[in-house]
Amino acid sequence: MRRYTLDISGREFVIDVQELAADRFEVKVGGEAYEVTLSGDENLAETSITPAISNGNGASPVVIAPRIAPKAASQAPIESVTAPLPRRAPTGAASKATLTAPMPGMILEVNVKVGDTVVRGQQVAILDAMKMHNMIGATRDGVIAEVFVTAGQSVDHGDSIVAFKMD
Amino acid sequence: MIDHATLALLLKGVNAVTWQSLFMIAVSFVLLYLAIAKDYEPLLLLPIAAGCMLANLPLSPLIAEDGMLKVLYNMGITNELFPLLIFVGIGALTDFGPLLENPRLVLLGAAGQFGIFMTLMFALLLGFSPQEAASIGIIGAIDGPTSIYVSGILAPHLLGPITVAAYSYMSLVPIILPPIIRLLTTKKERLIRMPYSQRKISRRTRIMFPIVVTVLVGTLVPFATPLIGMLMLGNLMKESGAVERLTKASAAEIANTVTLFLGLAIGSTMVGTEFLKTSTLAILVLGIIAFAVDACAGVLFAKVLNWISGGKVNPMIGAAGISAFPMAARVVQKVAHSEDFENFLLMHAMGANAAGQVASVVAGGVLLALMGAGG
Repeated sequence: MRRYTLDISGREFVIDVQELAADRFEVKVGGEAYEVTLSGDENLAETSITPAISNGNGASPVVIAPRIAPKAASQAPIESVTAPLPRRAPTGAASKATLTAPMPGMILEVNVKVGDTVVRGQQVAILDAMKMHNMIGATRDGVIAEVFVTAGQSVDHGDSIVAFKMD
Repeated sequence: MIDHATLALLLKGVNAVTWQSLFMIAVSFVLLYLAIAKDYEPLLLLPIAAGCMLANLPLSPLIAEDGMLKVLYNMGITNELFPLLIFVGIGALTDFGPLLENPRLVLLGAAGQFGIFMTLMFALLLGFSPQEAASIGIIGAIDGPTSIYVSGILAPHLLGPITVAAYSYMSLVPIILPPIIRLLTTKKERLIRMPYSQRKISRRTRIMFPIVVTVLVGTLVPFATPLIGMLMLGNLMKESGAVERLTKASAAEIANTVTLFLGLAIGSTMVGTEFLKTSTLAILVLGIIAFAVDACAGVLFAKVLNWISGGKVNPMIGAAGISAFPMAARVVQKVAHSEDFENFLLMHAMGANAAGQVASVVAGGVLLALMGAGG
């Protein structure tokens, strides 16, 4: 399960996303549960999404079917949410310039910030997978161009962790 | 006036001290030290040490008829209740996903049980009865509850040393596995990378798995039904997501309570006069042989798989084919990571490890069937 905490104009929303199948998710917002089906697979990772579920390969608009309480749909804040979700680089950019998660898990620590110079093998982050702390080392020498994750964030296999500045 | 009779009554405890009981109390101090200062499986070793100390105090009322430790022993060890309850909790904590993503890993779990049967032969040669030998062999699975279950049925008088061996070797996994892995694999083999397979396992498959395994294994190896049934019940509750409260209770409250009871009851079997025999030493030595051979068999079999697959299987994950879930898989990942920081074998090792967990249960059932348990 993934938990997104969004702060929208000072109001906090906690959104829990449970993957049921590759294109089906259960989304819980404010105590209401919805079954969500991904309707397409356009690559919209770098844009703002209303509302959006990220599936690791980018994100796409969703069809929301209120499952438990239909009337709740109007009360639930999800319809009015316009916020960028935790950013992921588009899959196409996952070249050697990007360090990606080797397996699904949760980021426990991020040890670098944008502009840091790192050497190959230097610890960039700690990934908790199967309750084990895994050191994620820099794949090359270079300068960190972008950090895609924050501590406490769940990542899937192949999600970008950091990007290196290309020479 | 205090005469000799009164004095004898007052000092009954002091007079009943034997060198064996003093020795066992010292053993309990060592276990307490390991649990508290060294953090070796403290959840198990501390209650075991306490049970051992309390049982060895002179004339301990706790192991007399209706004494608390005796009651606990009768309540959950003689009838196998405690290890089975623990298994529900283990099932609720085990993620079979990595195994389902890569089902051929089940072969590694099977290979990882070879040492059990080899140690059985050794123990027979050393003069143990077949029932005792089978109970000693099962130590190799490094699976505490299965060891307790099997030896409780076949050789209850050896329960103390066998349980202590099984649990203390569990904490030795990080020390014993790496040298075995390094000895049996080349640097080149250890550097083989196994990319994470991104196959999505549907919820339906995850729910079907425990049900199918229970029916299949229960039919093939009826003696494994209690163990596999409880393990898979825990897993079914977890994967179904329908009974979150029961899953939580099994994995936390029930498992914790039973661990305390189990530890105390097992500790109480370590009474000096019974425990301090040469057979105990033999059991400890044979147990570690069983463990090492299990790990070797797993690694060697993984080398075969690697050869068949054309160099795509890192033989190290075979070492996770023993039970000791999830410690064995973590140790494999650590060794892989220490040689190549970009190599992440964890998921594959976890798959082999989950297979080993199921396989050790099946091996326990096979042993019980071979020994004609239950008449």
